[in-house]
Amino acid sequence: MTDAIVTENLRKQFGQFEALKDLNLAIEPGVCVGYLGPNGAGKTTTIKILTSLLRPTGGKAFLNGIDVVHNPKEALASVGAVVETPQLYPQLTPMEILAYFGQLRGLDSNVIRERSVEVLEEVKMSDSANKRTGEFSTGMKQRVAIAQALLHDPSILILDEPTVGLDPRGMIEVRELIKQLKERDFTIFMSSHLLNEVQEVCDKVAIVDKGALLVYDTVANLSTVSESRVSLTAVEPITAEQCSSVQALPNVRSVKRVATSELLITIEGGLREQSDLLDQVKSTGLRVAFYTPAGSAIEDIYLRLVPEEEY
Amino acid sequence: MPPSDLRQMAVVTRYELLKYLRGKRLLIIIVLVAVIGVLNLVVPPTIGSGYDPDPTTFTSGMLNEVGILVVLCATFFGADAIVSEFEQKTGLLLFPNAVNRHVLVLGKFIASAIVSVGAVALYYAITAVAAVVIDGSLAANTSLSFLYCLAYLFGILAITYFFSAIFRSSVYSIVLTFFTFFLILPIIDRVGSSIAHFKPWFSITFASGIVLDIFQQPYPLDMVRTVERTFRNTTRTLTVAQYHPSVAQGLAVIFVYFIIGLILSLVITKRREM
Repeated sequence: MTDAIVTENLRKQFGQFEALKDLNLAIEPGVCVGYLGPNGAGKTTTIKILTSLLRPTGGKAFLNGIDVVHNPKEALASVGAVVETPQLYPQLTPMEILAYFGQLRGLDSNVIRERSVEVLEEVKMSDSANKRTGEFSTGMKQRVAIAQALLHDPSILILDEPTVGLDPRGMIEVRELIKQLKERDFTIFMSSHLLNEVQEVCDKVAIVDKGALLVYDTVANLSTVSESRVSLTAVEPITAEQCSSVQALPNVRSVKRVATSELLITIEGGLREQSDLLDQVKSTGLRVAFYTPAGSAIEDIYLRLVPEEEY
Repeated sequence: MPPSDLRQMAVVTRYELLKYLRGKRLLIIIVLVAVIGVLNLVVPPTIGSGYDPDPTTFTSGMLNEVGILVVLCATFFGADAIVSEFEQKTGLLLFPNAVNRHVLVLGKFIASAIVSVGAVALYYAITAVAAVVIDGSLAANTSLSFLYCLAYLFGILAITYFFSAIFRSSVYSIVLTFFTFFLILPIIDRVGSSIAHFKPWFSITFASGIVLDIFQQPYPLDMVRTVERTFRNTTRTLTVAQYHPSVAQGLAVIFVYFIIGLILSLVITKRREM
């Protein structure tokens, strides 16, 4: 089966700045991929090339096997995209904007009407369906943009920071929406700064930095190979000796004192190793008050792969 | 599969027209047309000079300002047509659709042309009705003048689209359109004719002279003559030149501007990144 999204040695140069360096990525159909990286890593550049907003300096990009650079009309036929925070035409209502793009995509007028009602309902914009968008907030515009991306029931959904500009409720709703879309066999390629969001929503993660792909794997695989961090709070202040004892325990990579009675411990391994460590810490005589994971598996792998000075 | 380019172009045109109808610019242009018309009809009797009894002279007098109207239409409906998609970030929504950029440009151009033609046609209609009511008949060649004016409008609009394609800000595009067709080219035309004594045949504003020249019988020809003027006992020989574009030459120049402007705007917009 043809991969849904493929980039082959994709390069993009802005003057002297190399935004993408031979990016190779192959995303199989039906998966939800979180695309992570620090600012300037090349996330939006990749998405803009895939959506024909930018032309690559070199390499190729394919959507459903069709070259998006040389044949954007066919390549984008089954793609819905929300790039950055797009603005809407203030003279038009959401229903009219959806009708405009529906007609551009060749949908029948009855289908457009039915689908417009459905997608506006999905993004909770039914109440404003017939109001002109000139006075809409950023969050409302983002919802309409997501609605237009879903209108033609595309096989590929490309989302660039889809929750940017949304209030907390909106962020949760969009996350839930993406989870629902996953169940409908969409291929979702979503860039985000929010690591927890990606872990919650995505099946696979691609981390890019300085224009190069660092890792592309399932969240489950990354969680097992990852080192993890736990926060340990003791009942009494932790002495230097106790700190050294913890440092000497198996699988412990580093121990950092963050407060008089709190340690941040980095260990090699996942949940099993965290559980073992707790037993071992107790055996040293340290009275543990709280023992909680510090950050998600994705956060851990992200922090390990992306050097500190970049974010 | 997405529809044909032609169908998509029609969709773009329809929604661009809807945006114009919902916006204020169309209303402003209609008001301007009305104001120019009313001023031309009200001022002569008010200052006691009355209307010209010859329908041809009356009509060409009324149409003196049609060049201004053409440039205003191009500025209002073309100067930010492309740049605004980039500047306002609406292109982030539009361009990732399965539609070729040249289709978007042509669809927009057709919409701009339709509303501009509407405005110019309205002014010609006011002029024609006024000529019939006041002088009893329509001036000969009014329809030819209208056709030449439309050609001029398309030429100006194409260049305006080119400006809109190259700039990052609609302000630059609007200002350049305004200055090019109200100042720069008219100055070149005037300096060329009256001081440097060369025929500025390459200028589209000079070429637009056919819109009014067509009313003159016979059609005016270039005229260069020398006259002697005496001032404070010194006699000087002066050269006086009056140049007119021939219809063929005027239309050819306008056509070249139209083709070059449109092709450049298509190519630049296609290659432009967001």
